[in-house]
Amino acid sequence: MAQARTGQRQPEGGITLMVLVGLVIALLLLTALLDRSRSGELLSETTLLHATLLFYVGAAALYLGFGARGTEGYLRWASLSTWLGLAANTAAVAHHWYQAGHPPLTNLYETLLSFVWAVALLTVVAERRYGVRVIGMITMPLAIAGVVLMEQLRTEVHPLSPLLQSNWLQVHVTLAILAYAACAVSFALAVMFLIQDRVETRTFLAISSASTLAIYASIVVASVEKWGGLAGTGWAEIAIWHGLRLKAPLALLSWTMLAALAVVATPVVCCALDFRKRSERLAAIARGSLLAGILLQGLSLAVLLRLTGASAAAGSGRLLTALGSSPFVLTGLATSLLISVFFLVLTWRRTELERLLPAADLLDRITYRAICVAFPLLTLTIATGAYWANQAWGSYWNWDPKETWAAITWLVYALYLHMRITIGWRGRRAAYFAIAGFAVVIFTFFGVTYLLRGMHAFL
Amino acid sequence: MGTGSSAFVRKIWRIAASIETGVVLLMLLAIFSALGTIILQRPATRPEEMERSYSPFALRILDATRLTDVYHSWWFLGLLLLVSVCIVAASVDRLPSRWRYFAHPYKYPDEGFRHTLQPQRTVELAPEAGVSEETALAAAEQALAARGYRPQRVAQTGQTGLFAERNRLSQLAVYVVHLSLLLIFLGTMVDGLLGWRGILTLHPGEMAGAVRLGDGAWRELGFMLRSDGAGQEHYPDGTLKQVWTNVTLLEDGRAAGQSRILINAPLVYRQVRIYQSRTGGNGEELEVAHQPGSWLVWSGVVVMGIGLLFVFYLVHVRLWVVPVRCAKTGKLSLWVGGSANRHRHGFEPRFNELARSIEEELKRVAAAAPGKGLSASGIR
Repeated sequence: MAQARTGQRQPEGGITLMVLVGLVIALLLLTALLDRSRSGELLSETTLLHATLLFYVGAAALYLGFGARGTEGYLRWASLSTWLGLAANTAAVAHHWYQAGHPPLTNLYETLLSFVWAVALLTVVAERRYGVRVIGMITMPLAIAGVVLMEQLRTEVHPLSPLLQSNWLQVHVTLAILAYAACAVSFALAVMFLIQDRVETRTFLAISSASTLAIYASIVVASVEKWGGLAGTGWAEIAIWHGLRLKAPLALLSWTMLAALAVVATPVVCCALDFRKRSERLAAIARGSLLAGILLQGLSLAVLLRLTGASAAAGSGRLLTALGSSPFVLTGLATSLLISVFFLVLTWRRTELERLLPAADLLDRITYRAICVAFPLLTLTIATGAYWANQAWGSYWNWDPKETWAAITWLVYALYLHMRITIGWRGRRAAYFAIAGFAVVIFTFFGVTYLLRGMHAFL
Repeated sequence: MGTGSSAFVRKIWRIAASIETGVVLLMLLAIFSALGTIILQRPATRPEEMERSYSPFALRILDATRLTDVYHSWWFLGLLLLVSVCIVAASVDRLPSRWRYFAHPYKYPDEGFRHTLQPQRTVELAPEAGVSEETALAAAEQALAARGYRPQRVAQTGQTGLFAERNRLSQLAVYVVHLSLLLIFLGTMVDGLLGWRGILTLHPGEMAGAVRLGDGAWRELGFMLRSDGAGQEHYPDGTLKQVWTNVTLLEDGRAAGQSRILINAPLVYRQVRIYQSRTGGNGEELEVAHQPGSWLVWSGVVVMGIGLLFVFYLVHVRLWVVPVRCAKTGKLSLWVGGSANRHRHGFEPRFNELARSIEEELKRVAAAAPGKGLSASGIR
């Protein structure tokens, strides 16, 4: 089947898609420019951010196009789009820095801006230096999710609160961003390794649908305000961040979300049963529910966007709830959709990906190298954070959730290093570990802010 | 002195030093630390809120298991202690073999070692070249020195070879990191046992020299503070910019110094740190902390930074050069071997380059010698 597709491949089809993507980008840029020039702000941060998003989406679309058609030429254009996105992103960072007068590292919005920039930069480095040409397939969706989340958060520049007026802030947050970006890249490389290591497609199905399920489950769980006698930290009260409600009550999430939750759970159940006893029928159900899941996920994303828009029109009270609930939920939904689509691309283009990627052995080693970079950075992040906390709060360790989770992340990567160096874990097990490590990083970065309360509330 | 008990001790030691135990303990530490962030913690939460969040039954269970104050519970501290013991045991267990590497470098490779070592090259010398062992070794020495190594001559059983190495310290880097962790643990323990923190209430113009601790007790500072006024600054949009308190330090009633305490800029005097209250807005309350173990913590952090740098970026490279004469033909060749303790894939190309430069140097020497020169090198 794959052979047949390869045979059908025609350069004309490739050009059509590239022209289409190019046209859409040009059109959107043009409308944005017209819009801006009318309002007199041609080079505003919003424009730059839009351009960044457009180029990253363009890159992702081209990767998707490669997935659908298998035309290698797309990859070069995707790479170009990544470069352009990085340029726009750099401009946005510079603009924000210039306007605020301090590096963009003081709140979640600014941190995301820098994080996305670092991820794009490392993508380009991995492509150029190590020849991992398709790494953008994973990092670009990550960057898109970051920009989408950013656009939902406010962009006004706030004066620094007294606690944040410290040189240590910049050092601490810069180190954290670099560490997290290195972790993100190690994650992407680990996934690439698994592809190259001929991990069975159904294992990928299990992993991808499990992460989708985790995202949906945490969105739904977080929107339930009280769980009988056991309300978790911060779940009893709705977290407030800069005056915005970060979570929506369940009623706001609509039934599509619950339906999507049920459907994305199906492949997980099928995979669990399938591991015991292989069955074609179960596999077919899993594949079918995956496709249905993609459709339903798209639907619930659309419903959420509509709800956000509708409540934006309805009045300020509801606007706050809906907008506040959307950044994390929206990013979660987008990420989960992208994970499913990535799996689809994988099933379609496995052979091409295997041909294009560097050898499994090399991928294994650069995953380890990325963690070798991330681990000292994580250590320094914690150390500078502790030093700053000692200056500001009078104690270098407060067992604040963010601190604790940073320590847990550090422990997880320390375990990885021990497994690898002392026990000699290589290849697949090490790759799974690197993926799990990044899941902890994501929780430390977003989950703690979203779900847990603490003194580290500004981020 | 029964053999039974010493066998038991040895068994315990083996368990404590094993990497599996370490992995399990670190996992437990991660899991329990995570639990403490998910379950509301007593010190940080008001009692009413605890009661509102959990049913009485759930709260009783959580309190009984100390899950409402994980980080100060005896079992969590016990776990930390076990981790420390495990780190010490693992380090002590493995240190002797590492130390041998460090203190007694293996300088002359025997036949078995030469057979198995990777990477290695054999540079063959043409018999008609007339290059002696001495000339060949001198040439190799030259090539190694050109790359920044300091080769030394090693003689064993009548044979002379070359040994060169770089970054031997790398062998001990892991123990430096482990030591740093112990320093940090020790520092926090000292702070937990001997340190204290409390609130100093200071009205403008008044003096105070005693701190109210968390448990309600009072502690004399041994010196006095006088407030010379407090205030705060706001941004044009009304948000708080900075809070400050001006204080005079008094020793036996005499002024010993003046200072302005700001958020993020505490006053440190006689091992006591005095902070602007984090709540802001109330300039009359200052937080005071005494952390006698903090210097241990910070030195641990510095040592860890250096240790990690060594662990990841300092590679112990060893190189050996041995002239080998074939028993049958009497042909002379140079055996070159190398080893790196980490990033071996990165080392291989560098080793190849080095072997090539030795070969070049030999060619140059042979060309200068009266013979015909060096034959093409064979790579075994």
